[in-house]
Amino acid sequence: MKQKIPALCAVTAVCVVLGMMIGLQYKTVKTQQAALLSSTDGQRVSELTQQLAQADAQISHLQAQIDSQQERLMEYETALGDENGEFASLVEENEALKRAAGQTSLVGRGVTVTIRDSKAAGSAAGSANPDAFLVHAEDLLSILNELNVAGAEAISINGERLVSQSAIRCSGSVVTVNDTKVAAPFVITAIGDPDLLEAALVFPGGVVDTLKPWGIEITIVKSNNLEVPAYRQMVEFTEGHEEAKG
Amino acid sequence: MKLLWIFPLAGLLGGICLGTVLPVLPVGYSGYVGMGILACADSVLGGFKSALYGQFKLSIFLSGFLGNALIAVLLLFLGEQLDIPFLLAAVVVFGSRIFQNFAEIRRNLLNLGKKKDKIHTRRKMM
Repeated sequence: MKQKIPALCAVTAVCVVLGMMIGLQYKTVKTQQAALLSSTDGQRVSELTQQLAQADAQISHLQAQIDSQQERLMEYETALGDENGEFASLVEENEALKRAAGQTSLVGRGVTVTIRDSKAAGSAAGSANPDAFLVHAEDLLSILNELNVAGAEAISINGERLVSQSAIRCSGSVVTVNDTKVAAPFVITAIGDPDLLEAALVFPGGVVDTLKPWGIEITIVKSNNLEVPAYRQMVEFTEGHEEAKG
Repeated sequence: MKLLWIFPLAGLLGGICLGTVLPVLPVGYSGYVGMGILACADSVLGGFKSALYGQFKLSIFLSGFLGNALIAVLLLFLGEQLDIPFLLAAVVVFGSRIFQNFAEIRRNLLNLGKKKDKIHTRRKMM
């Protein structure tokens, strides 16, 4: 019986500590869960979704504005060309320059190249190099390079027209083309000789061959009637000037 | 004499009340407290069991409690630094010991009335 007294004291003391920790832990977990639910997950997501919807609506509104303004501009130009023979050549030159700068949408023969992430990408998440199974900005750049070599006249990626100022870069899980985020599957539309364009991609040691071992799917479809949209942004020159001729 | 075990139980309840009044822990420490809870529960059950068998020693009880908790927390800390789930080792060991101790306590208490002589011979032997 004497032996029981210190035992009782010690076990009681440890029990008090145990109880305190349980109570503390319970409260902490509850508080953290509540904080997580209210701040990040619930409120934040709905807030951001709303902002995204607003931004989307704004974008489509502005795009419609741009389209209508360009239509008006076109009307003026055709009116000028019709009315006055003096301006006809200028209008023609303007058209040619706009086409060269990618400011007009083009239709014609060409190929549609669809590039998808490897199906193994999900299951390879834990493997040594999961990145190898995804399509990267560099892969797109090498494909574009080959298309340009084969004489592509106009190229777009997921509806973004590529011009000389276009940039393609990796930004996390997506790729940015002309400051617009695009994600896999990437659809490259190129206008040019379909056979030449396809041959530029499919040859031993070519781009398609290099990406195939990683399971990246590239499908090339030739077509006689493709449309490549116009470049949607303004190109402004603030630093470059033409050298004065003399 | 059995009534004396009310004290640890009361201590447990009092501790829970006290714990809920204390300020909330900063983020990232809940794993350590969880570890402490496991070590504590293991020690309490272990102490209860040894008291039932009449083997209780204060030094063993306290050193086991403090040592186990310390090692568990150290393993957890090391695991976080090295990205090795040492936490699992502590959870498995403490968890299985809790069940083991509970099983022995259960047997001892259930057999108390029926096989009293057996327990007496065992006590004499020690």
